[in-house]
Amino acid sequence: MRSELLNGMRMLDLSDERGALCGKIFADMGAEVIKVEPPQGCATRKIPPFLDDEPGLDRSLYFLAYQAGKRSITLNLESADGRNLLKELVQQADFLVEAFPLGHLEALGLGYETLAALNPRLIHATITPFGDKGPGKDYRAADIVSWASGGAMFLMGQEGKPPVQMSVPQAWLHAGAEAAVASMIAHYPRQADGLGQHIVINAQACVAWTLMNEQAMPLLHGDYLRRSGVFTGAIGGRRKTVYQCKDGHVSFLIAGGAYFNSTNAVIAWMKEEGMAPAWLAEKGGLKTLTPSGFMAASADDLKELDDAEEAVQRFFLTKTKKELWQNILKRRLFGAPVANAADIADDPQLKSRDYFVTVDHAGLGRTFTLPGAFAKMTETPVGPQGAAPQLGQHNHEIYGGLLGLSKTEIVELRAAGVI
Amino acid sequence: MSRLPFAGIHILDFTWYAVGPVTTKYLADYGADVVRIESAARLDGLRLAPPWKDAQPGINNSQFFASFNTSKRGLALDMSKPRAREIFLKMLPWADVVTESFTPKTLRNWGLDFDSMRAIKPDLIMLSTCMQGQTGPHRDYPGFGNLMAALSGFYHVSGYSEAEPCPPYGAFTDFIAPRFAACALIAALDYRRRTGKGQYIDMAQYEAALHNLAPMLVDYFATGRVLGPVGNRSERYAPHGAYRCADEDGHERWIAIAVADDREWRALLEVMGNPPTDARFATMLGRFRDQTALDELVGAMASTRGADELTAALQAAGVSAYPVQNCMDLHRDENLEAFGFWQWLDHKEMGPSPYEGLEHRMSRTPGGLQSPAPTLGQHSDEVLGEILGMPAAEIAELKREKVIY
Repeated sequence: MRSELLNGMRMLDLSDERGALCGKIFADMGAEVIKVEPPQGCATRKIPPFLDDEPGLDRSLYFLAYQAGKRSITLNLESADGRNLLKELVQQADFLVEAFPLGHLEALGLGYETLAALNPRLIHATITPFGDKGPGKDYRAADIVSWASGGAMFLMGQEGKPPVQMSVPQAWLHAGAEAAVASMIAHYPRQADGLGQHIVINAQACVAWTLMNEQAMPLLHGDYLRRSGVFTGAIGGRRKTVYQCKDGHVSFLIAGGAYFNSTNAVIAWMKEEGMAPAWLAEKGGLKTLTPSGFMAASADDLKELDDAEEAVQRFFLTKTKKELWQNILKRRLFGAPVANAADIADDPQLKSRDYFVTVDHAGLGRTFTLPGAFAKMTETPVGPQGAAPQLGQHNHEIYGGLLGLSKTEIVELRAAGVI
Repeated sequence: MSRLPFAGIHILDFTWYAVGPVTTKYLADYGADVVRIESAARLDGLRLAPPWKDAQPGINNSQFFASFNTSKRGLALDMSKPRAREIFLKMLPWADVVTESFTPKTLRNWGLDFDSMRAIKPDLIMLSTCMQGQTGPHRDYPGFGNLMAALSGFYHVSGYSEAEPCPPYGAFTDFIAPRFAACALIAALDYRRRTGKGQYIDMAQYEAALHNLAPMLVDYFATGRVLGPVGNRSERYAPHGAYRCADEDGHERWIAIAVADDREWRALLEVMGNPPTDARFATMLGRFRDQTALDELVGAMASTRGADELTAALQAAGVSAYPVQNCMDLHRDENLEAFGFWQWLDHKEMGPSPYEGLEHRMSRTPGGLQSPAPTLGQHSDEVLGEILGMPAAEIAELKREKVIY
């Protein structure tokens, strides 16, 4: 059943990977999201990896994840008839999201001004790598390039090795989600006064926003942060944030301030199990750490922290991720397992909240399990509205049902290469 | 249009740290009247975190706090005191939305769960955001976004190999959840306007963040494959990575490059002066087959070039590339500057300070940073006077009793 939250709203999604999450969020909220694909299919159908490593238009896991719950029509914007059909669709739409190079839609006679003249209610979001004004407004950017441009990549990786991205690229997901928020902000006054608008999303700025205000550091503290692998420079020098354990890794930090109780609790646990070295067991705590933070310290004091990290590392190597996680919860430690997909799929917390959702994919004759509701809403539950569509799966429904074209007209359009 | 989209919307905001404040900032920057209710007894941790004005710690000196709390008013109430809770309940009818981001038991302990608030304000919208949600065995888990980034899989898929995880910087999931939360909150306001119904939104940072790893999870459920880190390798682009350029003023400089097809590869070689290269690299397949050698080749070609100059040349040739920017570079970036990203606001105690602007721009109802972040309790008198009509003498009395600050 479609979520009531945005039921009745219609979005045309002309984007590729740069806007896929925008339309996905709208679909999860109950809007009818129509993926307008070129006849050969949206580029996101070709993003690896593929189901069972077999490429195919319906088999991209990226496509299956981020186009779920949308409808698919094919439309050739290179043909004049195709452009006219888009104009008809725009008149029936509330939102449009796209990520074409700047000027591309204008060159096709489908720029915002033209579309707004046809439908003043339209909210049109354009997702760009670098905004629409600077010297780089026409630059190309693969995800890794946007990740680098916004400052996130420089901070990831080890000293002496190249900066590194995440293996599931993130920059365009941030930009796509930003397009969803901005479209919702514009929606609120539009529902009162009937006027839409044009929105430009800047992916570089979206990435810069993930840096926890580190980006202000050079201006206020005079220097910029370097990447340091699993270490954080923030608290008392070079402190380790990831430890090895029996079957993987766990995130943990020895520190004062918010981490003070957690640090003492892990030492107490080590004592309980006879795993605290004598020097640590006999001490009343680590002298550089206080509940309000880290005290200025000598090299010897810092050595004490290094020694404590070593002792904790030896202790964690005797525990599995699961044992550590159970104790983190029980003892209220600030820590977390470095979980992988299997751990997450098996998480009792997510299970107790019925988080994952299974949808039927008729075309592939099987089901898929997707991340579920991004929030639990009491009046208007949200979440995946179905599987990802096959190419052109809804051509008849949209062109026939929505635009009122006859079967013959649809066949003609197909023959003419328009859809 | 001079009226901002959320003018007239009132939010009582108990959130702290990042997810909640960044969520309500979306509404505040577009005109909602967001009153941050802070406790001096239990300060927002960001007030205690750098960067600080002139590198000097102070609860009104943190830019970290300031950047996430623009366009809001500050009311300091010590909610552990019954009198403060009475004041809050008197303000409740004024509010359209209440937001909070404590562990679930905090508000219950104050007697302020959704049902008791709804009894006073029937169409209230309330957003609770915590690490793992309001229900389930792990609901009371306290934590930060860096731990959540480990728990939700981001650490595992970051780095050069499984033996060496390389976390994303900072509390990464703190910057995923707000966009989902803001969508839900604005949509709930729209739904209330249509139907008269408020509602309760339970947002687990964990459950929102997993959407940014959806392909990995769909893959696992469908095929059992457990994705690990692949460094800078890609199955779509070759070369694909960060390559060291010539140092500048003693600082290391890198460029990110992604080549999507053979035409782009030829364009890259042209920019590099067509050096002799192994013929097998001419095709995508050849480049995929020996990416280590390919990375060495591109690295050697880039090593003598300036990152900025090489970016301009590659982009002019239609190749996706940009310098791997450090936080200082972001302040000299012509594209961010043209977008008006950095803005200087005159904070009551910090003076002119650098704030990040919006990540988008609207044509008809442009939002923006309406005011710098409040100092602790900066608007206590103003807010209590305006919303409750509280006389100055009573405010002074409550301040002496340390109910308000």
